[in-house]
Amino acid sequence: MEAKPEEKAEIEAPEIEYVSYGGEHHLPLIMNLVDQELSEPYSIFTYRYFVYLWPQLSFLAFHKGKCVGTVVCKMGEHRNTFRGYIAMLVVIKPYRGRGIATELVTRSIRMMMESGCEEVTLEAEVTNKGALALYGRLGFIRAKRLFHYYLNGVDAFRLKLLFPPPRQVL
Amino acid sequence: MADKPVYEEASIDGQPPKLASIPASDTTVWADASPLLQAACAGLRDGELIHGDNFNLFAAMSALEIMDPKMDSGIVCTYYSIDEAIENGAAPIPISLDSTIDVRCTIDIMDHLLACEAAWHKGHSLAQTVFSCIYLLRLDRTAPHALLHSYCRIIRATCKAVVSVVSDARTHEEEDLFTMTYGLPLNGDGDDKCLSILNAVEETISRQLRACKATSSKRRLPEDLEPLQSNPNLEEGFCKALLCRLRFRKHFFHVLSCMKRPQGRGLESARKHIASCLTELESILKSADFLRSCFDESCEGDIDDKTTASGFEPIGFDAMLNSRLSAPTPPRAIKILSWKKAVEYFVKLLHDLDVICSYSLDPHLESLLRFVVQFQKSQPDLVARSHLQLLLVQDGKLYGRDPFFAVINKAAALPEATKNHDIQKNESFLQLGMLVMNLLKILCTNAAWQRRKLGKFLQDWRVIYVQLELAFRNEYGEVSSSSNDENTCMKIFQHILLWVEEQTYWIAFRFLILGFELELYSTGEYCMVYWYLYAVLIKLTEKTHLMMAVSHDNAKRKGKKKKDSPKDLARESRIPPAVLFLQCYICLAEGLSMMLAALRNEIPVFHSPSPFNTEHEKFVQHFELLQRACIPDHVSYPSYKESTTHARFSTLAMYNYFKDAQRIAKEVKSSFSNDPERLGGRWGRNVPFGWIHFSSYLK
Repeated sequence: MEAKPEEKAEIEAPEIEYVSYGGEHHLPLIMNLVDQELSEPYSIFTYRYFVYLWPQLSFLAFHKGKCVGTVVCKMGEHRNTFRGYIAMLVVIKPYRGRGIATELVTRSIRMMMESGCEEVTLEAEVTNKGALALYGRLGFIRAKRLFHYYLNGVDAFRLKLLFPPPRQVL
Repeated sequence: MADKPVYEEASIDGQPPKLASIPASDTTVWADASPLLQAACAGLRDGELIHGDNFNLFAAMSALEIMDPKMDSGIVCTYYSIDEAIENGAAPIPISLDSTIDVRCTIDIMDHLLACEAAWHKGHSLAQTVFSCIYLLRLDRTAPHALLHSYCRIIRATCKAVVSVVSDARTHEEEDLFTMTYGLPLNGDGDDKCLSILNAVEETISRQLRACKATSSKRRLPEDLEPLQSNPNLEEGFCKALLCRLRFRKHFFHVLSCMKRPQGRGLESARKHIASCLTELESILKSADFLRSCFDESCEGDIDDKTTASGFEPIGFDAMLNSRLSAPTPPRAIKILSWKKAVEYFVKLLHDLDVICSYSLDPHLESLLRFVVQFQKSQPDLVARSHLQLLLVQDGKLYGRDPFFAVINKAAALPEATKNHDIQKNESFLQLGMLVMNLLKILCTNAAWQRRKLGKFLQDWRVIYVQLELAFRNEYGEVSSSSNDENTCMKIFQHILLWVEEQTYWIAFRFLILGFELELYSTGEYCMVYWYLYAVLIKLTEKTHLMMAVSHDNAKRKGKKKKDSPKDLARESRIPPAVLFLQCYICLAEGLSMMLAALRNEIPVFHSPSPFNTEHEKFVQHFELLQRACIPDHVSYPSYKESTTHARFSTLAMYNYFKDAQRIAKEVKSSFSNDPERLGGRWGRNVPFGWIHFSSYLK
């Protein structure tokens, strides 16, 4: 997710509006963004699975009414830990490099934390420097390397964020 | 259900009409459900789903949209079936009526098959690579074309042999795609004769080559042989181009056969065939100039991307024909390696196999481990690694030859006589043997998988130690016996317990070091990683030193006839070089850790807290498996903090770790001056990048 100097949109940070997933009307926006940017085909059922069961974990970023970014997540029980999973994160090219992705992910992670998740995980291509830096700054470590994880033969890192144990209320 | 398919007019995206409706039978009738479905769709609101009770949104994710080419692997792209492709002339026999073109096309097919084979080795499915060749899918019909037929046969036999090796090595997870052969015609009748068939063809072409050379030098040979093709100017070039390709396949097949022989008996022969393979590959590369220039038409596009030496597209391949047989993933066009890259791949594979074949089958586990670690540094691919694993572990023995208890016996510096002791039938010792066997297998896997497995493995080694210790205490608790056999048993336990500890710390060390190779640590985490390495190294050095002392005692007890000279005594009191080497590592690890801690403590910009967690969580995550196995004991985040909180540049100046490391390294080097091969030592060239550079930077 490296920003290219050309075709960068002119915006001020407060102009970006962050919205929690609000319903079916948001679904085509999310689908368009993800279909454009990611190479894997997701059927509409995949999107529905995430946004129907965990609407509170998906967020959209708007600039002047246009949807410029989205994050789609889930959470659940996995081998005795309650963990969140970041499935998709997209910001369109002209809007990259401004912390929009960080803000989207942060909101989702905060929601996961508040919902009782013990950790958050996702996979990222080992070559995706932007994503690795973004998640690294948020506290994720590279827990594992997955050999030839993607169909094009690229390896992946499994990134994991471990929340500190909840503070004892005195 | 269906009888013969009925062809009728139908078109999909402008493609020619193909198979259409399946006719009704006596008891069935077709009814058009379109209006019903349309009405149902109109009645549904956005987001509503009609589904059965046991079908939920999670299951729906696996839904495929039929006719979406990105998802529907059954979609007809070019031909409905292999037979249809053949009927439409996709794989003609002969390839061309013009013998010159036929020969060039045959060479193109050979080259493309090599590229496919390399793509398969590199991780794509067999169905979409080698078996995208229609000639290979219907090998029997190539019988009239001796050249193509023999080549296809040996390819098929080779693929089968390679699949067998990799299957036996039982690869894991992400490499499972390799052995998927369901539905592919890998087993051919008569493939065991593939070499003799190939030899016959090779012989013919050799004679054709001799004949054309004789003609050019105006001599006549007794045999009246038909030339390979019709253009006398190109005869020599084509013969040579074909011969090196056929010979490469022959020698490669021999390499696989030789390496398969038990207990490494065929390794020397394999090396000879490897050398021949490399020679033929050179000739194959050289043939490219001829093949590119022999026709007036030049091919479009970048020659380096082509999958053939000539640059022409090969005839008779269709990757989509097998789409239903390839991986259980959505259909994807895969990129076959370029011909040049394919040759490079095989050159590397052969070099890796040669390293394996050159190995001396050293019965010393320590040397073997060093060898395997060094071998992995060149990042060998799956086929090479599988061959190594099968050489090392056969029939539950090392090299199919040495029982693992004997191997452990030697590694634990026990006398030769104890290797046959009955104690090896004890459950714990049997399990220990299995652990060593599994360790070797794990060390032959790809680095990413290897590290994960090594981490989990630590627990098993800890458990076996506890078990052995318990068994030892139960048998020999407080009793001091004078019985010979009991003394021997005690000694076996003591040595092996010590050895197990040493081995466990070695595995922990490998686990941590692999993290660097796999780029699992971000720079902000280096401090804690080097600190943990330092903690592990301290224990490893301690155990290694003890192990060496114990083995030295053994040597002494063997009895020396002459008295110890002063020189011998001096040598005895010196620290063994292997231990010195480890001490060097300790200095480096500690130095780097302290330096990074000082940087962080003194310069605020190096300390960047994350919003959701702290360094404590990262420590817990990175070292979870080590902590769980108590490796080492009494090491925890608080102790890490305690060691590093007060690190400052001023304290660093008081003790120069790197100077110490340099000094020790020099001492080690001089003690190995007679044996440069051993200079590496067991942990030899495993120094992570930058370690030694660092020391020279910070004089």
